[in-house]
Amino acid sequence: MALLNVENLTVGYKTKTGLLKAVNDISFSIEQGRSLGFVGESGCGKTTIGMTLMGLLPENASILQGDIYFNGSNLAGLNDKQWRDFRGREISMIFQAAMNAMNPVIRVDEQIIEAIETHNPEMSKTDINEKVKTLFNMVDIPKDRLKDYPHQYSGGMKQRAIIAMALACNPRLIIADEPTTALDVIVQDQILKEIKKIQKELNTSVVFISHDIAVVADVCEDICVMYGGQIVEKGKREEVFKCPLHPYTKTLLASYLSLDSDANIKVPEIQKAPDLITFNGKCCFAGSCNCCTAKCKSHSPGWVNMSETHQAFCFEDTLKKDNNGR
Amino acid sequence: MEDKEKRPIPVMELKGVTKEYCLRDSFFSRGSTCVIAMNNVNLAIQKGEIFGLVGQSGSGKTTTGRLMVKLENPSKGVIKLNGEPLSNIQGKALKSYRSKVQMIFQDPYQSLNPHLSISETILEPLIVNKIGDAHSREQKVINTLDIVGLAPAREYYNRYPHQLSGGQRQRVAIARAIVLDPEFIVADEPTSMLDATIAIQLFKLLKQIRKKYNMAFLFITHNLAAAKYLCDRIAVIHNGVIVETGSTNVVIRYPQHPYTKKLIETHPGFNF
Repeated sequence: MALLNVENLTVGYKTKTGLLKAVNDISFSIEQGRSLGFVGESGCGKTTIGMTLMGLLPENASILQGDIYFNGSNLAGLNDKQWRDFRGREISMIFQAAMNAMNPVIRVDEQIIEAIETHNPEMSKTDINEKVKTLFNMVDIPKDRLKDYPHQYSGGMKQRAIIAMALACNPRLIIADEPTTALDVIVQDQILKEIKKIQKELNTSVVFISHDIAVVADVCEDICVMYGGQIVEKGKREEVFKCPLHPYTKTLLASYLSLDSDANIKVPEIQKAPDLITFNGKCCFAGSCNCCTAKCKSHSPGWVNMSETHQAFCFEDTLKKDNNGR
Repeated sequence: MEDKEKRPIPVMELKGVTKEYCLRDSFFSRGSTCVIAMNNVNLAIQKGEIFGLVGQSGSGKTTTGRLMVKLENPSKGVIKLNGEPLSNIQGKALKSYRSKVQMIFQDPYQSLNPHLSISETILEPLIVNKIGDAHSREQKVINTLDIVGLAPAREYYNRYPHQLSGGQRQRVAIARAIVLDPEFIVADEPTSMLDATIAIQLFKLLKQIRKKYNMAFLFITHNLAAAKYLCDRIAVIHNGVIVETGSTNVVIRYPQHPYTKKLIETHPGFNF
C-alpha cells in the first residue's frame, strides 16, 4: 500500500473577490522510500499541497473535498491537537525561505532540541545532544557552529540546519518546498545530494516542490507537472522529461536554459496565469496553449494515458495536433 | 574580441580593486577581523557588452556590483567610468555618475517602493535629475513602459507594485533603470526569484535593450546557463578573486580553473 494517498483533493482560499481554488481535484500517491516532484509556475498550487499535507493551511483556506490517506489514516479530518502530535514526527517539512524559517532569538541547536524534546519526552539530555550532533554531522555543519544564532549562518548553512531539524524525529515523509531556491548552484548541489543521500539511507519518502525542473529531475523518480491548480501531467521522470505530452510541460522544458542551449533558441511565451476564482473547470492552459482547439474551451479535459504510469490531462486530438505542429 | 585589440576606453573598468569589511572583535580588544570580499579585481567592460560575473554566494559578486554603482567605496584600487576615475566624487559629480550607472536589484518584491505607483517609480529618477518638463517626462515614462513590455502602458501607469506579478515588477525595475538612458547597468541576479518561463522573457528583454541602446551590462548570476544565454564574456569569481575570464562559450566549453569546472559540474541537468 502506498504511504501517502491523496484522492480528489480540492483546497480553496476565501478571498475578498470569491473562493479561489488553489488546488483543484488532484490525486497522487507515494510509496515508502520514493520521491515525488511537483513542478510548475508560481501560484500553481504547489506550496498549497505542501501546506495541506502538513496541516498548516492559513485560516482562510480549507479542504473543500477529497481525502489524504497517510499510512491508512485519513488526515483530512484531523483537528489542531492531532496535527501537532503528528506533524514533525510522521511528516516534516523543509521550508522555502530558510532565512525566515528559524527563530532569530534562539540558538540553532536549541531549536532542534526543542523539536526532539516535544516529540520524544522520554529521551535523555545527553541522548538528545548526541542526536543533534549526529544530525549536524549528517548535514555537514561544523560542531562549533551549533551554538550560533541563525543570523550568523550563511544561506546554505541555514538550509542545512532546517534539513537537520526536519530529520530530527525520523519522519517517514519529508516535504521539501523549494529547499534550494535561494541558494547558489554549488550549495544547491550539496543540499540536493544531502536530500538524496538521506532519502536512501533512511528510506524516507520525499515530496519535492520546485519551480526548477532540472532540480526536480535530479531528485525525483516520479513527477507531477502542475498548472493552474491542477496536475496536467504525471509520470516517471524519464517519461515526463524525455517525451513530454502536455503542451505546458513542453513550454516549461523549452524555457529551461541549459549549458548546451543555443543563444538563439525559440522561446515560448506564457500568457497570464489563469484566474482561479472565475475558473470554469475547462482546460486551465487553454489561454496560453498554441494548439488550443474549440473543444478545449468548451469541454473539460480528461486523462490521456500514454503508458501505465504516464498520463496527461488534455484531449487526445490536441496532443496529436501539438505533436504534428512541432 | 576585436574591440580588445583596438583597446577603446572601456565603459566600466576596475583596476586592482580590493574591498575589505572589517569587524571589531570586541570593544576592548585591539585589532579586528577583516573579510576580504574582493581581492585585486581587474575588469573592463566595453560599450554594448553584457558581461557576466558568475560565482557562489559570498564570492564577492554583489560587492562588485555595489562598488560599481558607488553604493560602497573600494578599500584599494580604482574604478573608472569611461576612463575617468571616481575616487572621491561628491555632490553634483556623484549625482551625474548615478544617472549614468544604474542598478537592477535581485528581489522585485523588495526593490520597489510600495507607496509609489508605477509611473511615480519611473518618474522619480527623471525628477531627481531635472530632466524635461511634466509632459515630456510622462511621454518618456510611457515609452519606457512600452520598451520593457508593459503594454499598453496606460494600463500600468497608475498601478501599484502589489498589483503586479514578480515578472512585471522586475520589468518596472528595468524601466526605472533605463529611463535615464544610462551607459552602464548592473543587474544583480534579476531573475533568481522568478519562474524559468518568466526569466527567459526578461533575458530576451535585456538583450533587446542592449541592442537598442548599446548599453553595457554587468550581469551578476550564479546560474551559468543564464550567463551563457545572455553574456558575451564572463568572469568567474571565487572568494573575491577572479579565477577565470574570457568569452562565454570558451569558458564554458573549455574551463581551465578547477572552480569553474566545479561550477559546470554542479549545474543541474537532466542526467538520469
